[in-house]
Amino acid sequence: MATTEEIAEAFAEWRQRCNANDRLKRMLRGWDRVVHLRTSDSSEQFTIEVRDQSIGPLGMGASGEPDMVVTATSEDFADLFWGDLNPSEKYMSGEIVLAGSQEDVMRLDAMSMVAFLDQ
Amino acid sequence: MTAPVLRRAMGLRTAVSTSTGLAFAALEYLAAAGLVVYVAGDSAWIAVGVAGLLALLAWGFFGELNGMFPTAAAIRLYMKRSMDDRTALTITFTYMTTIVLVIAADAFIVGSAISHVLGGASWTAGLWIVVLLAVAVAANLRGIKVAGGVQDVATYTVLVATTVIASAAVLRSHAALRFPLSPLHGHHGTDLIEAVALGVFLYSAFEWVTTNAEEVRRPEHVHRGMLIAVGLLFAVCALVTISMSHVLTHHQLGSAYPQLYLGRAAFGRAGLWFMAGVTALTALNTFNGGFITASRFVYATAREGSLPRPLAALNDRAVPWVPVVGLGAASLVVALVVAASHSWQVLVATGAALEAMIYAVAATCVVRLRARMADEHRPFRIVAGRALGALGVVVFGLLAVVASVSVGDRFNPAPLAVIAVCGGLSAFYVLRVLPGVRAAEQARRPATRRRPPRPPGAEVPVASGPPTDTGAAQPAP
Repeated sequence: MATTEEIAEAFAEWRQRCNANDRLKRMLRGWDRVVHLRTSDSSEQFTIEVRDQSIGPLGMGASGEPDMVVTATSEDFADLFWGDLNPSEKYMSGEIVLAGSQEDVMRLDAMSMVAFLDQ
Repeated sequence: MTAPVLRRAMGLRTAVSTSTGLAFAALEYLAAAGLVVYVAGDSAWIAVGVAGLLALLAWGFFGELNGMFPTAAAIRLYMKRSMDDRTALTITFTYMTTIVLVIAADAFIVGSAISHVLGGASWTAGLWIVVLLAVAVAANLRGIKVAGGVQDVATYTVLVATTVIASAAVLRSHAALRFPLSPLHGHHGTDLIEAVALGVFLYSAFEWVTTNAEEVRRPEHVHRGMLIAVGLLFAVCALVTISMSHVLTHHQLGSAYPQLYLGRAAFGRAGLWFMAGVTALTALNTFNGGFITASRFVYATAREGSLPRPLAALNDRAVPWVPVVGLGAASLVVALVVAASHSWQVLVATGAALEAMIYAVAATCVVRLRARMADEHRPFRIVAGRALGALGVVVFGLLAVVASVSVGDRFNPAPLAVIAVCGGLSAFYVLRVLPGVRAAEQARRPATRRRPPRPPGAEVPVASGPPTDTGAAQPAP
C-alpha cells in the first residue's frame, strides 16, 4: 500500500510534467473539471482541480462537487502518477473504476498518456 | 464507500432517450417494412410483440451483466471472465461490425431520402452519403457531442412524429384492418420465425446505453431505462408495421424510403417532407452514439495493447482521430456499396443476425458467470438466470441462423457470408496478428520503473493524515 506522502510526491511530479506539456495544455482547453480520487485499500480521498488549462495542487479529502470520481488502489495511483502504469489496462480489467462522462474519461486518460508519451 | 454524486449526471429520462434513440435508427423503417412481408395482412405487430418479449429476455441478461460491471468496458469484462480472452476479443470485434453497418445504413437511408424528396437522380444519394458522413466525421474530430438535452428532444420528437404519421396514415385510409390477429393466414410457420428474427433487430442497440453506466445519476437508471425503451420501441414499431402493411404497396415496402411513402399517405407532400426531416433526425443519435461508442472502444482497446498503437492517437481535442476517420471510411464504403447494389435488405438481415448472436453471447455469459462468480454481488438479478440463459442461447442462436440465411422473404446466404468474413478477419487478427502487437507493446515499455524504490527494510505503513511537504494543498473548507 502506498502512503499519502508517496501518492502526493508522485502527483507533484506528474502535475509538473503535465503543466509543462504544451500539447496537453491545448487538449485541456475549455475543460475545467473537479476530479475526486478514492483509494480502495485505504479509504483516502483526494481532489484534483483542472482550471484554465492547468492542473492544480493535490487537495486532501474530497472537496467540491466532482465531475469525475476515480477509484483505485493507493499503489495504482502512485504508479499511475509516476507513469509506471497504463491506466487503460487497469480500467479494461476492472481494477480502476470510474464515474463520469465518456468525454471526461477520455480527457483524463489523455492526460496520463500524453504526459508520458513514451509509455 | 458511498456511490459518487456527480455534478453532471445522466438522469432516467436521458437514459431512456439514449437507449431508444440508439435503437430507433433510420434503418428501423426499412426493417419494419421488411418484416411486414413475412406475415399476413396487418398482423406484423404480433411478430414485433414476440420479438419484444425476446428483447425483454435480452434486457434481463444485459441488466444483470451491467449491474456486475457498471462500466463502458463492461463487454470486455464480462466476456473475458466468461470465456477465453481470444474468443472474447474475436466476438467483440465482430460485434463492432454492427456499428459500422448501422452507421452505413443510416447514411444510405438518409442520403436516399434527401435525394428522393429533392427529386434528384439516384446517383445524388451517393453524394448525400458522402456529405453526411463527412459532416459526422468532422463533428466528431472537433469533439462535438450532442448534449443530453438535445438528444432527449431529438429522440422523443422522432417517436412522437412517427406515431402521429403512422396513426394518421391508418385513419386517413378509411379502410378496416385486414387479418390483424392472423399472422399465418396464407403463410408458413417459418415465415413467422423469420419475421420475429427481423423483429429482434427493431430493438437492437437498446443495450448500448450500458456504455453510459459510469455517468448515470443512479446505477438502476441503466436497466430501468432499457426496460422503458423496449416498451416504447414495441409501441411505436408495432404501430409503424400496422400502418405500413395497411397503406403501402409491395413496391413501396421494398423501397429504400418506405417511411416517406407513409408520410405522403398521411399528409400528402407535406407529410413526405416531414418524414424526410424525421429520418434525418434519427441519424443525429446514430452518428453521435455510434461514432463515440465505437471510436472510444477502439481507443481503449488500443491503449490496453490489444489493437495497434496508432489507433490510440489523439488530436488536440483529445479525440481518437484514427478510429473516427477509419469508422467514417468503412461506413462510407459499405453505404456506397449498398447504394450501388440496392442490397439494403442484406444489411438489415446481417444486422439482425449479429444482434441475435450478441444476445446469445450475453445469455452464455450470464450462465457462465452464475457458476464462475456465484458469490459476486448482483444489483440486478434475472429470475431463473440459468434456465432463461440456456433458453436465450438456444432461441437467439436459432434466430441468428435464420436471419443470416434470409433476405427479404427468400433464402439467401449473403448475410452469413458477410458475418463469416467479418468473424474470420477478427479471428485471424486475434490469433495471428495480436501476439505481435502485444509483444511490440511490451517491448515499447520502459525497462525500469520511474517510481523511486522504497528504502530496503522500510515498512509499508497504513496511509494516514495529510502530507507535509509535497506540494499538496490543504483540504478545501
